[in-house]
Amino acid sequence: MGRATARAPIELPALLNAPLFRQLVGQLDGASRRIVLDLGAASTPMLSLLGRSRCRVEIADLADEGGIDRLNSEAPANELVALAASLLPEHQSGEAVDLAFCWDLLNYLKPHAISVLMSAVAARGRQGMLAHALIVYSERTMPGRPGRYVPTEDLKLLDRAIPAAIIAAPRYSPEFLGSNLGKFAIEHARLLGNGMQEFVFRLH
Amino acid sequence: MFERGKKDDGTDEGADFRSAAPKRSAEQSSAGAAGLSGECAVIGRSIEINGDVHGNEDLRIEGDVSGTVELRNSNLTIGKEGKVRADVYAKSITVDGTTEGDLYASERIVVHISAHVRGNITAPKVGIEEGAKFKGTIEMDQDAVEKALGKANMKAAKPGERPVARPGEPKIAQKDLVREAASGTGPQAGAR
Repeated sequence: MGRATARAPIELPALLNAPLFRQLVGQLDGASRRIVLDLGAASTPMLSLLGRSRCRVEIADLADEGGIDRLNSEAPANELVALAASLLPEHQSGEAVDLAFCWDLLNYLKPHAISVLMSAVAARGRQGMLAHALIVYSERTMPGRPGRYVPTEDLKLLDRAIPAAIIAAPRYSPEFLGSNLGKFAIEHARLLGNGMQEFVFRLH
Repeated sequence: MFERGKKDDGTDEGADFRSAAPKRSAEQSSAGAAGLSGECAVIGRSIEINGDVHGNEDLRIEGDVSGTVELRNSNLTIGKEGKVRADVYAKSITVDGTTEGDLYASERIVVHISAHVRGNITAPKVGIEEGAKFKGTIEMDQDAVEKALGKANMKAAKPGERPVARPGEPKIAQKDLVREAASGTGPQAGAR
């Protein structure tokens, strides 16, 4: 979202301890069927983890094919709403989404794009659905493109993104997020060791 | 669970998804371009098919296929040159090329880095290599997979033919999937 300020590779944390993520996936039991929406790219470790439970996984891969830039455009609101819906996978089964993984994508969206996207997600969710997100909070900069987070065996998160230029981070505050998430509200927030804030949102 | 692992027999399961692909099909990669093969049928890169493809032997597609592909008890590989605009039913499916349509497999589906898949995936085991282009849904819930495959077989079966998943046939249990994932074997382990 911000302007590139350097080309030097940046050091990424090897492993991110994300307790709320661990808690969320720990709640996926083998008995209940869950519909999971992943706004990031598909990864085998994530599928392996979700495959332990009775999950249907919807992969949006928003960063692919310029999805983020298109959402950030200044197009009319109705066009952006339609665009956000089209960027999500076709919703053929009609089953409401229980859990969404936003990873760090929201950092790369402008405020109006966050609202539009989360409204599109909410339109697919059941009341009470949860969404997990990682927001750059303490640091003033961030990698120029979203991470590629995959879970490890002990349910930490490993960012496999290729080092990119660093850009200014929007550093969205809980107050900002609370008023730009549409029908979602902040359920839990936790500051992580790498300066990111981990959030769980609940759809009301 | 997510690391490269050894199989129970002590052999190396391999670090990438090629270990999950049907071996015979993988060996045919060079033959695919020529359109000739010893044990695996090949639709060569210059072949274009508009219609339904049925069969009971392993198949590699390097050409362009539109319609339906149904290999009930066999393995399908869509090679790097392959373009399939069809719903596909097979025992296992390995994708290196481009697909547009829904993929159904009674055993597993593996999507490699060179693949571009748009559609839904239904299989008890799914592996997607990092960097592969995929947008759609992945159904791994065993009950839903069996239900979907049953419906797909009913839809694809010709009158008088038996469906693929017959009652009493061995099924891949969810617990086996979990065990393989936990031990680091199987297609879902060791993407890198």
